[in-house]
Amino acid sequence: MEIEVQNLRKRFGEVEALRGISFGVFPGEVFAFLGPNGAGKTTTIKILTGLIREFQGEILYRGEPFSPRILSFKRVIGVVPQHNNVDRDLTVEENLKVHCYLHGLWGKKQRERIREVLELTGLQGHLRRKADHLSGGMKRRLIIGRALLHEPQILFLDEPTVGLDPAVRRSMWDLIRGINVLKGCTVFLTTHYIEEADMLAQRVVILDAGRVVAQGRPQELKEALGRYTLEIYHRDRIEEEFFQSREEALERMRSLDVPAKVREVNLEDVFLSLTGRRIRV
Amino acid sequence: MKGVWAVFYRELMFYRRRGVRTVLSSVIYPALFLLAFGYGIGKGARVSGMSYITFLIPGLITMSSMNQAYGISVEVNVSRYYFKIFEEYLLAPIGRWEIMAGEVLYGMGKGLLPVLFLLGYSAFAGIGLRITPLFLLCLFLHLLAFALLGFIIAMAVESHADQAALSSFVMVPMIFLSDTFYPIDKMPLLARYLGYFSPLTYSTKLIRGTLLPGSHLFSFKYLLLMVVIILALLAVAVVLVERAEA
Repeated sequence: MEIEVQNLRKRFGEVEALRGISFGVFPGEVFAFLGPNGAGKTTTIKILTGLIREFQGEILYRGEPFSPRILSFKRVIGVVPQHNNVDRDLTVEENLKVHCYLHGLWGKKQRERIREVLELTGLQGHLRRKADHLSGGMKRRLIIGRALLHEPQILFLDEPTVGLDPAVRRSMWDLIRGINVLKGCTVFLTTHYIEEADMLAQRVVILDAGRVVAQGRPQELKEALGRYTLEIYHRDRIEEEFFQSREEALERMRSLDVPAKVREVNLEDVFLSLTGRRIRV
Repeated sequence: MKGVWAVFYRELMFYRRRGVRTVLSSVIYPALFLLAFGYGIGKGARVSGMSYITFLIPGLITMSSMNQAYGISVEVNVSRYYFKIFEEYLLAPIGRWEIMAGEVLYGMGKGLLPVLFLLGYSAFAGIGLRITPLFLLCLFLHLLAFALLGFIIAMAVESHADQAALSSFVMVPMIFLSDTFYPIDKMPLLARYLGYFSPLTYSTKLIRGTLLPGSHLFSFKYLLLMVVIILALLAVAVVLVERAEA
């Protein structure tokens, strides 16, 4: 296992952000934490990356006990935070250089890494541009590139496409897949976008109010419900029924006297069936 | 040490981007005080056996360099709470003390600018100041103390409103009650006692004492006191940066 987490708990005053969650991440996989805002996704990432130092529970990195005070683990992780924390007054090059210096990359090695990262993220030609003048998507690319400069083995991405338009989001997915496949990097991402988890993740943990409500391969989680969802639009609510075949779903739809729609089962249905609520609020 | 350079480099680039604005802001205050106090109300006056302008210059050096060095409190605070750039440092494989050292080094560098301006002005105006290794040591301790204080405030005080209040209630009185514009011994008793609690009083005495030829203001007692103050500030800064979470 790349990361093993047992009974992780974290409390902020009266709020219990994590209520004893357990999960594991395999080497080389894309692993996703899916859940609504406030589910505990960012808190988990902050603990796993050492940004939050006080917590309860056990964490193992490659079988070794994890402590946020051990610096060596920081050499193997890269982190893309939820917010755009590029230094907006600095140029793209200066932003990347600061990260290089933080990781002890100097001279020729530094130039090579910056060139490679710019190619990977498609930011060649923007080296001398002030970060503040980049578009939202380019800023996200810069942050991802920055996190890859020291060639981490595990990349944490906290809501990597939040606030981006659909086209840019899709290009980000291609980039994340590329990092996973071409670089062999284990990717741990959090998201509240159903499609993102569905498209990218080989395994998913569904989190709600600090608890793991389900985990497994997206396909397995969905098939446990069925293959097709019939959305029935009542006047005051939307009801969902699940079917193994499209024909069964269509037959049921024809028998209704209210509007309805048939579509494939998605991870939102899994979340809804387990919590009674939708992820997108 | 890679962390110290990384943090210092970032601040240096940030400073460079602001260019003329930042340089001007660091010399405009001492220039205005020089004009108002030195050539306005203080023209022809004598203090402690010397012309007021001669007495004033070392005070302006400590006051303006303190403002600049302490000023990192706002910059570090903004980069930590608003732009979240500090998070990048916390994620790096560097000791937390390196973050502190990089920021403090930057603060000390900023504090040097008004010193250079005032020393240059003094040479131009024919005010005989002597630059000795002892003066440089005292200046180093002065800048270190106030850059550390700025870093501590950035770590401990989250909101800008609280920072501004702190500046009004602590830093501004410190400027006026610390031997900078007039001798502390000439002040009313209460003000004098308040002045004795200010580290600026001792660094001003040291810097004035080392800068003015034939002055008897320098004392190793004050030097030792500054070292003790710095050690205490260093201890607080290390504790705060170790506790910092994103």
